[in-house]
Amino acid sequence: MRDIVMKRPENLEALVEALSSVNDTTYLLGGGTDFMIKLRKHRIYSGTIINLTQIKELNYILREKDRIKIGAITTFTEIASHPLIKQYANCLAEAADKVGSTQIRNVATIAGNIANAAPCADTVTALMVLDAKIKIIDGNGETREKSLDEVIIGSERNTLEKNEAIIEILIPVIEKKSKSAFAKLGSRTAVTISKLNIAVVLEYDQENSIHQAKVALGALGPKAFKSDIVEKALLGKKPVESLLLELQEALMEQVDASILGRGSHPYKRDAIQGLADDIFYKLFASTSIGGEV
Amino acid sequence: MLLEFIVNGRGHKLEVDARARLLDVLRDKLGLTGTKEGCGEGECGACTVIINGLAINSCLVLAPQANGKEILTVESLEQDGELDRLQRAFIDNGAVQCGYCTPGMLMSCKALLMQNPNPTEEEIRRAIEGNLCRCTGYTKIVRAVKEVVEEK
Repeated sequence: MRDIVMKRPENLEALVEALSSVNDTTYLLGGGTDFMIKLRKHRIYSGTIINLTQIKELNYILREKDRIKIGAITTFTEIASHPLIKQYANCLAEAADKVGSTQIRNVATIAGNIANAAPCADTVTALMVLDAKIKIIDGNGETREKSLDEVIIGSERNTLEKNEAIIEILIPVIEKKSKSAFAKLGSRTAVTISKLNIAVVLEYDQENSIHQAKVALGALGPKAFKSDIVEKALLGKKPVESLLLELQEALMEQVDASILGRGSHPYKRDAIQGLADDIFYKLFASTSIGGEV
Repeated sequence: MLLEFIVNGRGHKLEVDARARLLDVLRDKLGLTGTKEGCGEGECGACTVIINGLAINSCLVLAPQANGKEILTVESLEQDGELDRLQRAFIDNGAVQCGYCTPGMLMSCKALLMQNPNPTEEEIRRAIEGNLCRCTGYTKIVRAVKEVVEEK
């Protein structure tokens, strides 16, 4: 039996060095809350684990010009409570706050959630409506930015090469009058895997009509996606009570379009109405529609 | 591989398998069997310990990830034969029944009180949302933590 070796780079330079000599049995480790399960389930007995969590320079949340930048190993606990995230990416703060339990949020990382590419990953749905970009570094030390759709291509499938690692998440700052929120539905309140989740970013015009709507849904297919159907239903509307019914109709239509014929279809078609309630309340309950997302 | 960390105030230098979970090292190598294994996948919280002041599931952390960190297990609560106030409050309030979840429950509550000495009931409930208890219905556990908060 061969051994498992763990590399623990302490800076970016050492990470690049580690990435320059990878093979099929090299694994990148964030917080480990998903990896640990895979390690046991897939009976991985040999290979190299590159542990990213000791690279302190990858743990940050800051604003640089018109973008919020989040270091790869930043945990959900840190994201959920950070003032910049709450101000400019509220749906991400809410999503991070709803992942797992306190114990899981204390170690699980944002880059891990993306790379793991679970169809139900809560922060991925939020990052999708925020038009987040993913910064990647490879074993030659070269970096590039990709969209979320380029990185995640299916259920637990990403396009990262073995010698690539996510090092940063970038979120454009919306300066216009806007609001964002996240809601999820699972089998229990905490430590739950989303059966459905939704993230919404709305921008308003001078008359308080919705002039841009971004809506993403998770756990309704192999990966989270933006829903044209629901976005169209919100465009040009004012946040009045009758809009809830329209939102529910549009969401049910999207469920039909996505998973008709699947065993989970009747449940999700029904359940998404409750999810509509939750997100509607979060988006519109306060009469003052804030200046930032 | 080499693991250097501090557990309950004592420094340790151990040779561990890179696949070993922190839970296994604590129980099998250090004999700290107060930390329990329940589900082994982060649902139940029985294996909760504190790392650098934060509650975590020791079944979901590889032992080498704890390198250079400071760990507190349930064994750290009792000092010189005296139970921690939190442990005393659990007993006084009937918050321990079968007892299996208790070490994890105590460590989640301890981590909360270390960060926030005056939590609200909502904050207490949130701190233990990752800990399952099938006996007490949680009410007595919440009452025990509140008692510690109010004693101050």
